[in-house]
Amino acid sequence: MSNSDNKLKVEDEVEQSLYAKRQKIYPREVHGLFAWLRTSGVMALLGFYYITPWLQWDERQMLLFDLPARKFYIFGMVFWPQDFFYLTLILIVAALSLFFFTALAGRLWCGYACPQTVWTEAFLWIERKIEGSRPQQMKLDKAPWGHRKLRLKVTKHFVWVIFSLFTGITFVGYFSSIRELTTSFFQFSMGPWETFWIFFYGFATYGNAGWLREQVCMYMCPYARFQSAMIDMDTLVISYDEMRGNPRGARKKSIDPKEAGLGDCIDCTICVQVCPTGIDIRDGLQYECIGCAACIDACDDVMDKMGYEKGLIKYTTENTMMGKKTHLLRPRIILYACILAAVTVGTFYSIYTRMPLAMDVIRDRNTLYRETNDGLIENVYMLKIMNMTNEPHSYSLSVTGIENLNMLLDVVDIEVDGGEIIELPLRIQVDPDTLEQRSTKLNFNLIATDADDLYVNEAARLIGPVPLN
Amino acid sequence: MNEIPVIQRVIAILWPSFITAGIATIIFTTAFDPEIIFVDYDISRLGVYTISFFLFWLLGAVTAISTCFFLKPCSVTNRSANNDKEKV
Repeated sequence: MSNSDNKLKVEDEVEQSLYAKRQKIYPREVHGLFAWLRTSGVMALLGFYYITPWLQWDERQMLLFDLPARKFYIFGMVFWPQDFFYLTLILIVAALSLFFFTALAGRLWCGYACPQTVWTEAFLWIERKIEGSRPQQMKLDKAPWGHRKLRLKVTKHFVWVIFSLFTGITFVGYFSSIRELTTSFFQFSMGPWETFWIFFYGFATYGNAGWLREQVCMYMCPYARFQSAMIDMDTLVISYDEMRGNPRGARKKSIDPKEAGLGDCIDCTICVQVCPTGIDIRDGLQYECIGCAACIDACDDVMDKMGYEKGLIKYTTENTMMGKKTHLLRPRIILYACILAAVTVGTFYSIYTRMPLAMDVIRDRNTLYRETNDGLIENVYMLKIMNMTNEPHSYSLSVTGIENLNMLLDVVDIEVDGGEIIELPLRIQVDPDTLEQRSTKLNFNLIATDADDLYVNEAARLIGPVPLN
Repeated sequence: MNEIPVIQRVIAILWPSFITAGIATIIFTTAFDPEIIFVDYDISRLGVYTISFFLFWLLGAVTAISTCFFLKPCSVTNRSANNDKEKV
């Protein structure tokens, strides 16, 4: 065998082990304070997700991002593509909250609120109900294919698929009326695009929560990679107390660990068995840790059984671990909190005071100006009036900026139905003697005649001949 | 390069392009009303959104694949050519 052959073989082996199929992780069921918190979070968030589209507000779906009509209905308010600004603000609030909570207590988002965690928990629960506990699942997967295995696997995937489809329908129900959608779903009369998105989203749910699971967090989530930038010595993170736990070792309950030269860790590896990402928290903080605190619950349980003090694994800061003082209220936290509060208040204030009326004034570009038979200068404008409320309104228009101008509208009353846009041609005539420049600024004021708080001002220019003097 | 698992490589191409496609679709559909642009075609707004999303995704994926391809160290190209020679 030549040297290069040998080298190739070694490279092959290394490659094989690196390309090795991922080991399936079977998280062991866990009970305790944090498990309870997480389950409550999962129930609340899933409940919110599946129930919200069914709630009505003013005889309309409460939350409806009506993409086909390009209108977003949120709690009785209607948002238009022109309101894109608010989406940006809300995203900034979301980013700031993430900074704040990460600096405070690590990956709270990942452990309790991330959709990936929430749906994975739901899928794990289904898996446990059908295939049994962790050891039973492992035994089943090792067993050769037979009647029982086939039955359990088919049942599990069937329930997963139904649940995913339900998730997909609900998702599309946020964008297209869910009541009509479910009716047409059961009558097999859905539109092709809705059908596509139900299956696409359902498939994504099934794949991410059923198969990919922790790999989503490890390879797809950017947050996991840059979390270290937001964490400092005073951030609460889940840690194993090495000083107290080591040296690890199995022992009888009756033995005094100090006499036996052992730490408090009995090396039962339950903290590893419950971990949804399959890491050993005793190796220190790792980027795979999603901060779910399952290991805390599991270890506390073991400590209780051994008659030791709880908290061998707990939420703690690096400073505390090193025997220094922890400052939870520190400049970073206070700064994040202040900016977050300011932007949140600003966002809600601007939404609250938002004017559900808009007007565009577009000057006719084909002609600069026209001289009428009476010697007046005439400009033509196109008004675009958007009524962003749900009710019809009538408006009155006034134009200021030049003395004694004539305003010629084709209609007597300006009336716009709820959620509609109208276009109105408008002619403005002025005496050329009143013009001081070639282009003069005009103010267009539109006020609702049936509501005091609906008004909008727009500026446009009137073009005339160059004044002689 | 070989230290990166296959799943991570696949995700590195499909996932960032998926996210940028989502953002691009949002910006595109906010700025332009498909009903006005595609007035001559018999397609619903939802259809335009869907197709544009997948076109953006495809574009992003092509970009990501090219990036990965050009990131491959040049020495690897020489080495694999030499290995082929040795095998012959």
